[in-house]
Amino acid sequence: MSTDTTGPTGTTAPTPAGVLDVSGTPAVPFTRLVSVELRKALDTRAGRWFTASIVALCLVVVVIYAFAAPEGATDYGDVIGVSGAVLGYFLPVLLILMVTSEWSQRTGLTTFTLEPHRGRVVGAKFVAGLILGAALIAVAALVAVVGTLLGGGDWSLTADILVKGFLVANLVGILTGFAIGMLLMNSAAAIVTYFIYTLVLPIAVGILSAFQEWFADLAPWIEFNTAQGVLFQEEGAPSGELVAQLLVSGTIWLVIPFVIGLLRLLRAEPK
Amino acid sequence: MITVEHLTKKYGGFAAVDDVSFTARPGRVTGFLGPNGAGKTTTMRIMVGLTPATSGSVRVGGLPYADIPNPGRHVGVLLDASAQHAGRTGREVLTIGARTMGLPDSRVDEMLELVSLSGTESKRRVRNYSLGMRQRLGIAHALLGDPSVLILDEPANGLDPAGIRWMRGLLGGYADRGGTVLLSSHLLHEVEMIADEMILIGRGRIVAQGDKKSLLAGRASATLVSSEDDAALGAALARAGYEPTPAGEGLRVPCAPAEVGRAALQAGVVLTDLRSGSGGLEDLFLELTEDTQREGHPVAATHQGATA
Repeated sequence: MSTDTTGPTGTTAPTPAGVLDVSGTPAVPFTRLVSVELRKALDTRAGRWFTASIVALCLVVVVIYAFAAPEGATDYGDVIGVSGAVLGYFLPVLLILMVTSEWSQRTGLTTFTLEPHRGRVVGAKFVAGLILGAALIAVAALVAVVGTLLGGGDWSLTADILVKGFLVANLVGILTGFAIGMLLMNSAAAIVTYFIYTLVLPIAVGILSAFQEWFADLAPWIEFNTAQGVLFQEEGAPSGELVAQLLVSGTIWLVIPFVIGLLRLLRAEPK
Repeated sequence: MITVEHLTKKYGGFAAVDDVSFTARPGRVTGFLGPNGAGKTTTMRIMVGLTPATSGSVRVGGLPYADIPNPGRHVGVLLDASAQHAGRTGREVLTIGARTMGLPDSRVDEMLELVSLSGTESKRRVRNYSLGMRQRLGIAHALLGDPSVLILDEPANGLDPAGIRWMRGLLGGYADRGGTVLLSSHLLHEVEMIADEMILIGRGRIVAQGDKKSLLAGRASATLVSSEDDAALGAALARAGYEPTPAGEGLRVPCAPAEVGRAALQAGVVLTDLRSGSGGLEDLFLELTEDTQREGHPVAATHQGATA
């Protein structure tokens, strides 16, 4: 009979059995993290329906546009602009939800335990968001085909509109959604902030600019939406000053929030 | 094996975890016991890297958690069964885990069967789950990767008595096969029945640790006794050097039952009831964590026959 009157107090030396043999376990590959993040974006009713609704809304707006637009404004370039604009409003929300659901739905507890290197999770989420965004951009381009057929079948399209107004604008939207999501880490707050940022802020800046001349000069430098107007101008490359405004306002509204949000997310404690 | 060394976590001036050291060993169930807000959850969160420690270290199987590749395959973690996307089905929650760990989807079915979640239940959304079902899902998730270490925060919360018995069997068998189990609870009886070793924590500090026997060793015992002639028995006990006090229908004596029996034998008094009157672990637990309890005088409330 063993005598164990002195209780185990945790001073025993580690036994070999207590050491994990991790030699046969490779780290979770990044591609697997990406595919899991893609799955997570679409495996809830909210995620699926929101994504489907964006496409449906694009279709509805494009069809209405095809019938209601004045003669000569329904070539593919016009319609893809409309389709892309609708997508551009809602795509960032999809990205916001991908990031914030980890906190609002508290799944981060599991996610960051299965992959403790948060930078990899954030990277995977970002890549998954880009893939999802690219797929939706392709769908929006297809929807525009439908609208163009309905509107008379004029397929003219300038490269400028496609690249700047459609692709770049939506990419900026993806980055914006991701940045706001990381910064606020709360679904409701992030979505409200996003719409204030895209809908209310430009109007406020517009009103201020109308009354204050100095502010009108300053606005394109500090207001990203105003500066982004450059992207939608059809003719040729924008001037150096416009590009500079885009860079300055983009740093204020996109780069800085993105970096602060990333740092915040990497350090935050999922509760 | 989980090794916690001088772990401290401060939020401003408040130490949620204060110089905590302990070891959870393979083949044993280690119970982490303390009142609400004692620092159990914070300690476990630090273990798996969700919360950074202010100082001190934690090693799981000899490694810092972040250095374990594909940690789900080695360490099963359940921190909060309700922390799941309400819109996902139970099956989907497990599928995501299995995919992340690189396991076949068949593992999901195995785990669902293990925790007795039926096919229909697994297709329901987590928002419609009872706490007990979420707990089972969480345990299934923790066991997905066939880990050798389990870290479970309040796993019995919300389980019905049958569920608690099931979990006890499950974790006991797991430890018997050489697994390391660390589970927290604020319910003493739950831990007392399942844990081989206990770590008592209060206000961020460890107040006692060891197995049940060593925790109770050296504790003053007490006996509740009633007899056909309490007055004579009381006098006999007083002569023997003990101080009996009236308690309910009998006496409470601060000594072991055998001493009371001996005194009764010598005095020729017939006993009608004789039992140990110490609250055992519960008393110890409440005393040790008294200053951290929210209720006024929890110890008084649990003393048997204290109304006399």
